[in-house]
Amino acid sequence: MSANSTSIAMEAPVEMQIQEIAFDGQETYAPSLSMSENLTKLAQKIDFAKCGPEEVNKEITEINRNEDEAEQSTAPPIWPWDSVRNKLRNALTEVSVLADLLTIAKGKKYVVLDPVPHDPPELKPMVMVYARKKSFAGAASVLLSGAERLKNSLAEAQKNRTTTADFHIELLRLRQNFRLKKVNNTIIGDLSYFRSSGSKHIHSGTFEVTKSEEEPDKLLSPPCSPNPNSANKLTSALRVTVPGELQGIASIKVYFQKDQDSLYSSNLNTPDTAFSIPEIDWQRKLEVAQNVLFCKEMFNQLAKEAVQLQSPIPHVVVGNQIIASIFPGVQLVICLSHMEMSTDGKASLPPPIPRHDQVLEHTLHQLLRELHEKKNYPLPHPASAPLGPSRKRSCAGPYAMDREEFVEMTESQTMLEQVIQQAQHTQLRDRTLCILDKLATQYKDPLISVHWLWLNSPTYACIKVTIFAQGYDEIYRNLVIIHVYDTYLKCISRDGKVVHLSYESMELKNYILCQICRHQIMAVQYLAKSMGWQCVANSFNLGSGTLIETFGNASSCILVSPVGDRLISIHCDQNSRVQVSVAQTPRKDFFPGQLVKERKWENLGNSFKEVQWEKMIGKNFLSKMELLMTSLTSSWMQ
Amino acid sequence: MGVTILLSYPVPENKTGPQTAELLIKRIGALGAVQSGQFLVDCETFSSGPTMGGPPRTVHVLHNSEQPAAVFALLESPGPPPKTVPLVADGLFDLLMLKMSSIYASKKQTRMEARGTRFEIADFLVKIGTVTMSSNFKGVLVEVEYRPCFIAGNCWELMREFMQSFLGSVVQNTPPPYFQVHNRLNDVYQPLDTIQQYLDHFASYRKVAGL
Repeated sequence: MSANSTSIAMEAPVEMQIQEIAFDGQETYAPSLSMSENLTKLAQKIDFAKCGPEEVNKEITEINRNEDEAEQSTAPPIWPWDSVRNKLRNALTEVSVLADLLTIAKGKKYVVLDPVPHDPPELKPMVMVYARKKSFAGAASVLLSGAERLKNSLAEAQKNRTTTADFHIELLRLRQNFRLKKVNNTIIGDLSYFRSSGSKHIHSGTFEVTKSEEEPDKLLSPPCSPNPNSANKLTSALRVTVPGELQGIASIKVYFQKDQDSLYSSNLNTPDTAFSIPEIDWQRKLEVAQNVLFCKEMFNQLAKEAVQLQSPIPHVVVGNQIIASIFPGVQLVICLSHMEMSTDGKASLPPPIPRHDQVLEHTLHQLLRELHEKKNYPLPHPASAPLGPSRKRSCAGPYAMDREEFVEMTESQTMLEQVIQQAQHTQLRDRTLCILDKLATQYKDPLISVHWLWLNSPTYACIKVTIFAQGYDEIYRNLVIIHVYDTYLKCISRDGKVVHLSYESMELKNYILCQICRHQIMAVQYLAKSMGWQCVANSFNLGSGTLIETFGNASSCILVSPVGDRLISIHCDQNSRVQVSVAQTPRKDFFPGQLVKERKWENLGNSFKEVQWEKMIGKNFLSKMELLMTSLTSSWMQ
Repeated sequence: MGVTILLSYPVPENKTGPQTAELLIKRIGALGAVQSGQFLVDCETFSSGPTMGGPPRTVHVLHNSEQPAAVFALLESPGPPPKTVPLVADGLFDLLMLKMSSIYASKKQTRMEARGTRFEIADFLVKIGTVTMSSNFKGVLVEVEYRPCFIAGNCWELMREFMQSFLGSVVQNTPPPYFQVHNRLNDVYQPLDTIQQYLDHFASYRKVAGL
């Protein structure tokens, strides 16, 4: 050992990594890394991308030193890394040389970069020409096919727009909706519907279908889309000829009439000159013709029933009108209005119909369809069952229908009866409405509020009428429920009494007025009870006396104060006029006379003095009564 | 179809069946009932022959004059688990059973009938009938129907009171055993329930040997 150098002993630290400590304190050491493993670990730490050549050199020399020392300290050789080291060293040398060269060449002072000339490649012109030709042909074919397609679509679009639709396509569309058959070069179609819907009306309606070569721009074909706003510009190649009696537009008109005069005067603005029906497409034309057939059938059915039915006032069938009387004085008129085309193509209008009731017309349509449906015999299940009974009857077995249901099934009403019933109910309902409205506007002292139930049927309606005083509806409220049927009303009052009223509207007015009167007296009684007064006598049906009006009733009651010294007598008559009189029990004006000598007879009292009711303060009858009772109630102190 | 309760009225020893029926008719007449025709409920039993295999199954075919278009059939199969399959069919079902006579043989001697008069009082329908099995008298059955209601639990009390008024203490205070199973008290009442009640009573009458 020299004096300047110090030998350093390098040895790995003895400490070994503790892998785990057992529960009894014993330590398990992880095996320490061997030299090669250690070196591998260090080599992995090198980041070749980051460091510069000097650092790399440094690191390599470090590694070398490590290796040498490792070689010195331990025996195992590190050959696998040797080749790596060599390669790296070579790469470093080359890269540093290239870097030096490039920096020098950049300077352009000592080294200049010049391109190396190449031999030109040999040309094959024909090959090139052929190649170019082929590529051009491919591009041209693509363009040509595109152009061809565009031309085709344009031609089709033009064809669709200007020329007429194909006859056969139109025929196909016609066949989708109507039955067609070919007879001796002509095509005949069928408008009748009795086979498919169960109707009994055998009326053959046929129409003829022809090609239209002449006047192609007058006929129209039905629009393709159901959009009503799209203008229908297509012209048709199909012409449809409808038989004469089914031409035109028909409908059933229903209205009410009073005693041979028109019930309502009509002010329809109809033009005087006839108008021409615009040309419509064949689908609508056929539908209109079928509608004519349907209306004719309906009118026939109604006329048949009108003749067969027995009624107190017989129904009259005149021409195209059926007149049935609903109530004495009011008639229901059903007429078939057929707007026919005259020969010059102009239509003549039927006489204007006053106030046509569309609800009843709709009812008639519904009833006829219902009739068709009932007659529509279903195929029986099982197949061996008898063919004939309606659907309801064949289900009677499995549903275990009892005798009442059977009886119900056999009862049926004719169409005319049902329509008359509904018309009666409509009229009765309107009358009831009028009367109640008039009464509600007329009477302000007890208010009348009318509530119509929304749940009703064509032959039934229900009304709830409440009579109450404003501000005192908690004290007493009179309720009347009115059921409106077809020819009579059923009124149920608050005490449970049921009254049947006929169609005369005056009966209802009378009833409501009686209820109003009753309300006044009952309300006063309840008010008196709440104030401590007692009712000693009342009477609800005093009659109308010598007054001219014969509607309504008068009622009265007598109240006595809590102490017993005052009496109030109230009389309420049918016009809601009240007469109130007051008496005092120990009479103030008692003088013993010849017959009545003793003082005690003053207690009989009862000479009533009338109160000037108009001068009383109070909004309505009950508030005035309350004031009167309050003022007459004497306190104990006095 | 209202709720129907079927009761078997025990015939007292000193009286015959028809006499008991007369007595009940008089009582119900005193309440103000109006006679409105006759009624008939009959039951025919078919049992399956050996060709079917397995334990023999029975089919009861019942008719009720209250539902004239319907035929009720109940199939009882004893094989585990024992179950009863009900069917409501059209009148053609009888012909079908005739065609199946080779498979299902009818026992003519067990044909049971309940026949009598029907009375209407307000919302009630009362039928007093005598039960006969091939012209042997078996018992008296009283059927009471309350038409407005179709859930038994809602009107049991009302019906009990009404029945006790003319039947006396024969009526128990608890609903009959038919209604106490399967929550039948709260189910919608069907015509099939009436038929099943009749079948139960007929079965109990069959067990009683001779009368």
